[in-house]
Amino acid sequence: MPSSQPLPPKENSLFKRILRCYEQKQYKNGLKFAKQILSHPKFSEHGETLAMKGLTLNFLGRKDEAYEHVRRGLRNDLTSHVCWHVYGLLQRSDKKYDEAIKCYRNALKWEKDNIQILRDLSLLQIQMRDLEGYRDTRYQLFMLRPTQRASWIGYAMAYHLLNDHDMALKILETFRKTQMVSAPFDFEYSELLLYQNMVIQESGGVLDAIKHLDMYKENIFDKLTVLEIYGSLYLKMGEYHLATLCYEKLLRRNQENTPYYLMIKEAKQLHNDECVYNMLCGYRKKFPKALAPKRLCLTFASGNAFQSEVDSYLRAGFHKGVPPLFVDLRSLYKDKHKVQIIESLLEMYVNNLTNFSSFDSEDTSSKEPASALLWVYHYLAQHYDYLNDIQKALTYIDMAIAHTPTLIELFVTKGRIFKHAGDAYEAYKWLDEAQGLDTADRYINSKCAKYMLRANLIKEAEETCSKFTREGVSPMENLNEMQCMWFQTECALAYQRLGKWGESLKKCHEVDRHFTEIIDDQFDFHTYCMRKMTLRSYVNLLRLEDVLRSHPFYYRVARCAIQVYLHIHDKPPTDASSSNEMDTGNLAPGQLKKMLNKQRKAQRKAQEEKAQALAAQEKRDMHKNRQQVTNTSDEADAMPLDELLPEKLERVEDPLEQSIKFLKPLQELASDNIETHLMAFEIYYRKDKLLLMLQSIKRSHRIHPDHPMFHSCLIRFMEKLLKLDNIQEEMQLVLNKQLEPILGGMSAADINSQFLNKHQKSLPALVQGLKMKYKLDNCSQKEVLDQITKLDDSLEDVNIQTCSDILNSLMNGEFGEVGDIAEEYRKTCYKRFPLATVFHTDQDRSPMAFWSNSYKTLNETHENCVSN
Amino acid sequence: MSEEPVVNGVGGTDEQTDNLDDANAKKTVKYDSGAADLEKVTDYAEEKEVISTDDISGAMTIIGDRRLKEAADKIAKEKELQKVSIKKSDVELIIREMEISKTLAERTLRECHGDVVKALIALTN
Repeated sequence: MPSSQPLPPKENSLFKRILRCYEQKQYKNGLKFAKQILSHPKFSEHGETLAMKGLTLNFLGRKDEAYEHVRRGLRNDLTSHVCWHVYGLLQRSDKKYDEAIKCYRNALKWEKDNIQILRDLSLLQIQMRDLEGYRDTRYQLFMLRPTQRASWIGYAMAYHLLNDHDMALKILETFRKTQMVSAPFDFEYSELLLYQNMVIQESGGVLDAIKHLDMYKENIFDKLTVLEIYGSLYLKMGEYHLATLCYEKLLRRNQENTPYYLMIKEAKQLHNDECVYNMLCGYRKKFPKALAPKRLCLTFASGNAFQSEVDSYLRAGFHKGVPPLFVDLRSLYKDKHKVQIIESLLEMYVNNLTNFSSFDSEDTSSKEPASALLWVYHYLAQHYDYLNDIQKALTYIDMAIAHTPTLIELFVTKGRIFKHAGDAYEAYKWLDEAQGLDTADRYINSKCAKYMLRANLIKEAEETCSKFTREGVSPMENLNEMQCMWFQTECALAYQRLGKWGESLKKCHEVDRHFTEIIDDQFDFHTYCMRKMTLRSYVNLLRLEDVLRSHPFYYRVARCAIQVYLHIHDKPPTDASSSNEMDTGNLAPGQLKKMLNKQRKAQRKAQEEKAQALAAQEKRDMHKNRQQVTNTSDEADAMPLDELLPEKLERVEDPLEQSIKFLKPLQELASDNIETHLMAFEIYYRKDKLLLMLQSIKRSHRIHPDHPMFHSCLIRFMEKLLKLDNIQEEMQLVLNKQLEPILGGMSAADINSQFLNKHQKSLPALVQGLKMKYKLDNCSQKEVLDQITKLDDSLEDVNIQTCSDILNSLMNGEFGEVGDIAEEYRKTCYKRFPLATVFHTDQDRSPMAFWSNSYKTLNETHENCVSN
Repeated sequence: MSEEPVVNGVGGTDEQTDNLDDANAKKTVKYDSGAADLEKVTDYAEEKEVISTDDISGAMTIIGDRRLKEAADKIAKEKELQKVSIKKSDVELIIREMEISKTLAERTLRECHGDVVKALIALTN
């Protein structure tokens, strides 16, 4: 359709030059030509020229002017596809994809076969995963340009993504037939074939996929992939002999690839561990230098075979000095028997190395280097740390440090032991020590920062990181820019522990934005991958982006954000100062005392900084306002992202709605994690949404009906139902129908006592069961308190987390008035976990003093053992 | 080429010449090579014509038939769904209790033949 404002030939050629300048990124020239047209009085309001000028300005960073020009252009020429297209491009550059799609559709109304607009539309549709819309657009492109490669590939891919494999394959095969192999090494044809094979495999045609490979393997140059596909296909078909041959070929290429060995195990149909062990021994002989079969042998060996295997494995490791030896073997610790064998071997090594400098006591001819003993100590420390024997772990790590006081790994291990023992502050101090030994080591630097954050020392952590961030920028900003998610997550958790809810939320939102950014970044690949024919990687990328927020990094911040929002809902912040006051309820007194000074300092610093930040913010605001005044456009402040202000985040009006924003991706992508539904329950419980609570209950019940927290949710749900009497008839019907299989007609009290009976031994289950018992019947207080404060050896899963949870609920009145029972319980816990700061109080002796006593005696006994 | 240092393609004000524009582009390539490389590759190249029209007429007909059938199926299903009569109060109940959009609420209700209890059960699964 011709424009409603046609230009005479001279101006028209100028306009074409604007377009060319834009395509070739010569924006300055483009502006010059636009000026030439617009300065002509007759065409000063020419819509398409105004729009193009705006688009050009946008690429020069003058966003506000850009919007103004494009909008003015559009107003002057509403029937021009150019104006609509340009407006769409502008919206797209601001990531407003929905708006952009609308603009493109308007543009297509006036010019329905415009290839460029259709292409741009298809990009947005795939980005927004409007797959059916994408298929329709690709169909139009296909009909308009059936001679182009991209038309075929794009159309086939649309069907593939919609899981219509037959149609995708038909298009691909027709297309493949038209392809002439031109060069001797036609990589793109090779990729096309592999993509075709991928679609065949996904359609379930195992045999077809093999035939396809047989036919075209000469033209595929990624030989490794061909072999791997063959291997997996043969396995699926039950052609075990052929599969074995494939994987043996692959092993000759790479002997360290552990999955290959496991595939051979599949292919040889070995179900017995001993057979697998024998098979692995064969490969070990065949590839004497390979580590993978040696390590795998340990997994499948047992009894005496394991003993001799692990003996030589450990000796080799200690002889050579392999720092991560324990990490390498940790997965074996699931088997208690193997742990015992390892432990006795280690004790023997210590003895023999101290006395004879050899692993053996009989044959002492081969002397080991002095470092061997050091590594044995180091291993033992980690070994006992894993088994929760803190005293022994500390003994060995100190012996190691006495042996070689300059080895960084030892300090890291010592810090880790303290972390596991519940003393984050002491842990950080040892990591700081380690960091001091090599300030140029980035790993140790990051590790130290992480431990600082665990000890709630945020300022210090930032300073530590600043050694490696860009100079001249605040480290916090730089880390955000670099999408350093572990740091931001730990920050969020530290702020949460400190009760600085706004700051914590800020960090959570920052991480959430990284994920959004990663999703936005895929945009460029839609054109690039199609052109480069890297179709398999492209489809994998699309699938990855679809489930991006299922990543554990996201899970951790989402959980933190939801918890914080729930807290804000339960206890809304009152006045401006509250956020700076420490939430002492969350900290045990001991911990408090220990960190008080540090925190005070940090707080003072933080306050100063906040004042500075506020001042800066005011300045910026003023600047912005001034800008807005100069801009006539009403939407000139189309900033892509609002600034995250802790004060604002903390004072949202609808914390529950905010938390749902973090919950939604989890419900969609992490629905097999029970915690997702438990969090959902907590949110909807506070919103009184019965059916949504029911939904969470049903989903968690399906995953893990015995989960302690699920039990708590269920009882509270039943309580809530009893209290409400005006439930709508339909809803009551749904509730009755759906709860029947879960409750089995029992009352809340019945269910609770059944639960308590079933889980007498598990402390976390007991806690929830007893909490509910008290909730259902306040008269049971004495009985409940008796049971919950018991801490004998028959209980399982006793850990610091659960015990401190009990202590907290005793102190905050969840069991009513308890008198000095809480204090008694604290002392009990203190005895059991002497290093855990949550159980310390001001009056307590310094934990180190307590420690050094018991520690000394332990040392002495150990020395006696050794010298004997 | 201009020797003026330009960081990350910032800079470039009105007075600068095209030459500098080009320089900017070059420098940008150097600084954030990933994105810039992508741009370099994706722009300019017009699709080459690869297929002669004879080969494709057959395929085109298959695809065309398929398209028609798809469209017909879709319309038939929509029609079927539209026939189901639903109560406004039911839709409102679903929206309020399940916190979902009106479209999804109506659709679920229609798919359950207007039975609100069934629809709610389906949504709580």
